Amino acid sequence: MAEAEDESAKPKPRPIIRLGLFLISHSFVVSVVCCAAGVFALLLLPVLAKNTYISENALMPGSASPMLSNDDVSRARAFVNKVVSFDTKSDSSSIGLQELVAQHITDLGGEVNFHRFLPQVNKFNPLHFFSSPDQGIVQENYSCSSYGINTVGFIRAPNGDGKEAIVLVTPYNSVKTSTGEALSLGIAYSIFSLLTRVTWLAKDIIWLAADSQHGEYAAVAAWLREYHTPSFGGSGRGVFESNASPTTGEKRHNDFLRAGTMAAALVIKVTDGSEKAERDVLNLYAEASNGQMPNLDLINVVNYLAVNGQGLRVKVEKLGSLLDSWWLRSLGELFQKLGKVARSLNPQWNFGISVAEYIEGTATLASSLYNQALGVPTGPHGVFRDYQVDAITMEISSKRLANYKNRPSELLLQGGRLVEGVIRSVNNLLEKFHQSFFLYLLTSPNRFVSVGVYMIPFALLVAPLPMVAASLFADASRRNSGMENKEVTTFPASSDIPAITFGSWRWLHAAKTVFIVHFWGAVVTLLPHFLSLVPDSAPLTNLITWIVLSASSLLILQVILGSSFTLPSMTHTRGMEWTLLKSVTIAFACTGLCIMSVINFATAEMGALMLVPMCLMSRPLRLDAKAKTLKSFLRAGCNVVLTFMFFPPVTYYLWKGALVGLDNARIGDFWNWVESLWTWNSATYIYVCMVHLPCWVLCVHTLVYPC
Amino acid sequence: MKSTFLLCFLLLSTYLCNGIASTSSAMHTNNWAVLVCTSRFWFNYRHMANTLSLYRTVKRLGIPDERIILMLADDMACNSRNKYPAQVFNNENHRLNLYGDNVEVDYRGYEVTVENFLRVLTGRHETAVPRSKRLLSDEGSHILLYMTGHGGDEFLKFQDSEELQSHDLADAVKQMKEKRRFKELLIMVDTCQAATLFSQLQSPGVLAIGSSMKGENSYSHHLDADVGVSVIDRFTFYTLAFFERVNMYANASLGSLFSSYNPNMLMSTAYYRTDLYPRQLEEVPVTNFFGSVMETIHTDSAYKAFTGKDSTKSTLKMPLGKSSQDIRRTLASSDVQCPTSDSNVEDPQDSCPSTHFWNSVDEKMRKVKGLDTWVNSGLLLMFLLVAFSSWLSF
Repeated sequence: MAEAEDESAKPKPRPIIRLGLFLISHSFVVSVVCCAAGVFALLLLPVLAKNTYISENALMPGSASPMLSNDDVSRARAFVNKVVSFDTKSDSSSIGLQELVAQHITDLGGEVNFHRFLPQVNKFNPLHFFSSPDQGIVQENYSCSSYGINTVGFIRAPNGDGKEAIVLVTPYNSVKTSTGEALSLGIAYSIFSLLTRVTWLAKDIIWLAADSQHGEYAAVAAWLREYHTPSFGGSGRGVFESNASPTTGEKRHNDFLRAGTMAAALVIKVTDGSEKAERDVLNLYAEASNGQMPNLDLINVVNYLAVNGQGLRVKVEKLGSLLDSWWLRSLGELFQKLGKVARSLNPQWNFGISVAEYIEGTATLASSLYNQALGVPTGPHGVFRDYQVDAITMEISSKRLANYKNRPSELLLQGGRLVEGVIRSVNNLLEKFHQSFFLYLLTSPNRFVSVGVYMIPFALLVAPLPMVAASLFADASRRNSGMENKEVTTFPASSDIPAITFGSWRWLHAAKTVFIVHFWGAVVTLLPHFLSLVPDSAPLTNLITWIVLSASSLLILQVILGSSFTLPSMTHTRGMEWTLLKSVTIAFACTGLCIMSVINFATAEMGALMLVPMCLMSRPLRLDAKAKTLKSFLRAGCNVVLTFMFFPPVTYYLWKGALVGLDNARIGDFWNWVESLWTWNSATYIYVCMVHLPCWVLCVHTLVYPC
Repeated sequence: MKSTFLLCFLLLSTYLCNGIASTSSAMHTNNWAVLVCTSRFWFNYRHMANTLSLYRTVKRLGIPDERIILMLADDMACNSRNKYPAQVFNNENHRLNLYGDNVEVDYRGYEVTVENFLRVLTGRHETAVPRSKRLLSDEGSHILLYMTGHGGDEFLKFQDSEELQSHDLADAVKQMKEKRRFKELLIMVDTCQAATLFSQLQSPGVLAIGSSMKGENSYSHHLDADVGVSVIDRFTFYTLAFFERVNMYANASLGSLFSSYNPNMLMSTAYYRTDLYPRQLEEVPVTNFFGSVMETIHTDSAYKAFTGKDSTKSTLKMPLGKSSQDIRRTLASSDVQCPTSDSNVEDPQDSCPSTHFWNSVDEKMRKVKGLDTWVNSGLLLMFLLVAFSSWLSF
């Protein structure tokens, strides 16, 4: 009775709080379990992948029989022959090939215009947010010969309302056109020749023959920028547009023509395939900047039509080095056995997957994850995503290309019918693509992992961070209060109130340190901009300068912003200040990862794989050295290895070595890699510099902490 | 001579009056069709083709355009995706253009709403709605209600924005019954889980047929690879296949229509609900609903309604001389099967006062014992009366 009264007098905290306290008090076990489960769940993703299905009813791919006739194909073949045999030198005009394409479009009955643009140098400009870009000044340095000229053909839908359009992109080098590029032009031409005659178009068709002499991406980006920034009146027109018309006298070719909003865009490419593939292969590239993907329905439609309609083998990129790794094979065997056991228990449980399937799935998944995490678009389709247009690159890789002269029509017919099917399907759309997923990872062209599933590994990885931070903080404050109690007993009168305030606000010192390091991270982020102002410097020198400047700036900051690294002598004697520091570091890492997961999930996922173990393990080496047990030595060893591995350049070279071997890797490569990140405006660069690197420095700081 | 003439006249008027009283609630006098396509958008081409096919069939079988209420989104024929502008086909052979010259769509596009649908059924229109958009049926009407679209368990979707629930349908039908807007109603629904739409129906005289049972889908019949869409649903396809063999004068019964549905061909089970329907399906010609074939009744007088209006005296005559003849006439008419059972089905409150009166007289007649003697004495009395009056006149 007395006990019961006691309990009622002191009400229990709510269950959720008790659960939280329980988790915090067992944070070590919980974090080990969560991290292991997170990695395991990541490896399990290929098993959990679902078959894709076409979610939008309106698409109806393959319901219409292809109308592309041999007539169209033979016309396209003649066109290809003209393009291939076109001699730029003999032609006096600088835009001979464009003129040829334009002439053919006009003959078919389409509208045509030229779009001339200057290649825009992708420059990382962190001050871009504060000032408008001064493109004009940069561009004036170019001579007229370096213009790129896109040829854009339009078919207006005969009964359509002209509010929507489908874009076909065929990048080709107008100076030196390869056979593959000529064939891709031929495919687009055959489609165009068909579509000028059909009655069923509801959306306009735009054929962008992009001049890729300054890069495919730049050409498409320039055209899209112009398309989406309509200028009214003559004043808004660029300086170069008002110059002489590229065509001799034909004014209409110089007007910038537009159709409606773009429903979808298809980039068509033809490459020379490997000899061993018995069928032609269609490679799909879908990743746009910062891990954005086109709607899954678009990929489904292309995949469905390529496989069922044209008998092509559809491929998405995969990491080849994973295909013959022994550990993946044994893991696959394990999953296969588990699947068999599960099915023997209950025939309904059908999640078994064969070893080969698992390995293929994992390799594709890893590639998908890597490409998304990198945040660099895998082709000219990437630029469409910046304007919220779903786009995909279809690369037909044919072994027939080498001797295409014998049987070119087959390839043209196959490619043409595939593109026609996709266009007809997209033409049926009533709204933008919206039914299917935008956030997904592919494990094969017809299997995907949706956001709801792939979030689980990340959540499991990140979950221990706040718990460990809270537990460390509680630990530190308990020790503090214990010491203060002693102090209070020794000096009861003197420092009563100051001691308490000091104890409760103690973490601010650690926070200050963390803040300084992250501020330094921001400085490191900005440094390459100033380095890039120095012209013609080698990557290696740039990299070394960057590192040296970064290190010195860290030292300068340390000097200027006070004695945060050399902590106060009082705390030094206590020697437990590092727990607070680690706690704040972990809290910051958690925040950074969570923010990054919103911006680019794949980056956050891969970042968490590295950051979480490193942050959780870090512990002063001296403590371990003092303990002199096997466990402590192991821990110290692990710490050193982890910290070494996850220093960004080292990680890069390790990754590179795992993928292609370190034989031809140079030290300057890292600089090039970073440069590519910022030129593509990848958020991964910001993440590496402002979250990963500061956390790494703080971990090193914890390791060498004097105890 | 005069007396016999008068007698004959009285007897005749009695018969006619009786005829009016009983057929006013039971006689099949006209046919209506309400054809609804509840979906829109290009990929639902087949639903519009279904409805237009049915429209064509009922028109062919004799229901005039002014008695067909056609509700269509009507966005197919002139859809920019249509390879054959202004044409709609229900078969890939493209032999028959359903969207010919004289298609009268009463409710078009966004007018096809649940509200308008219920207004059409119940007849509660705003005053501005023209007569051509109203269902002006009466208690002698046979109505065919055909609906197609996307449905689910106890609902039918209307154009992606609304849905009609089975309760709504049942309520509308009940209102129609109470307002005596139909004699018999055939509801034919071609959607997924169509059978569930009928679960709440209670009104007598309703026959319902759906393309699929609960949990079943209704599938399209075939795809037109030229147009690029499915052009007709299976249930409707086989319904039309049945009607292609039927002309206006055919005697095919509803029973034979219903038994023509083969679950293997439909890929679903056609469901029909007959418990509210008084007649045997085998005896009802399909043209009773899908056409406008009325029983022609030969009458001796062109003014039957005028003459039989107010003669209460003659009521006593009704069973007297003409009862046997009356029964014979009723049997001869294939249409009016059982007027007595029909009046039994109706609630007394529902029917009009005259019917009520006649029913009560009828009831009393049946209860009276020694009817024959009573009738005979009445006849004698009448004869005397007539003899007396003729004597007076001489």
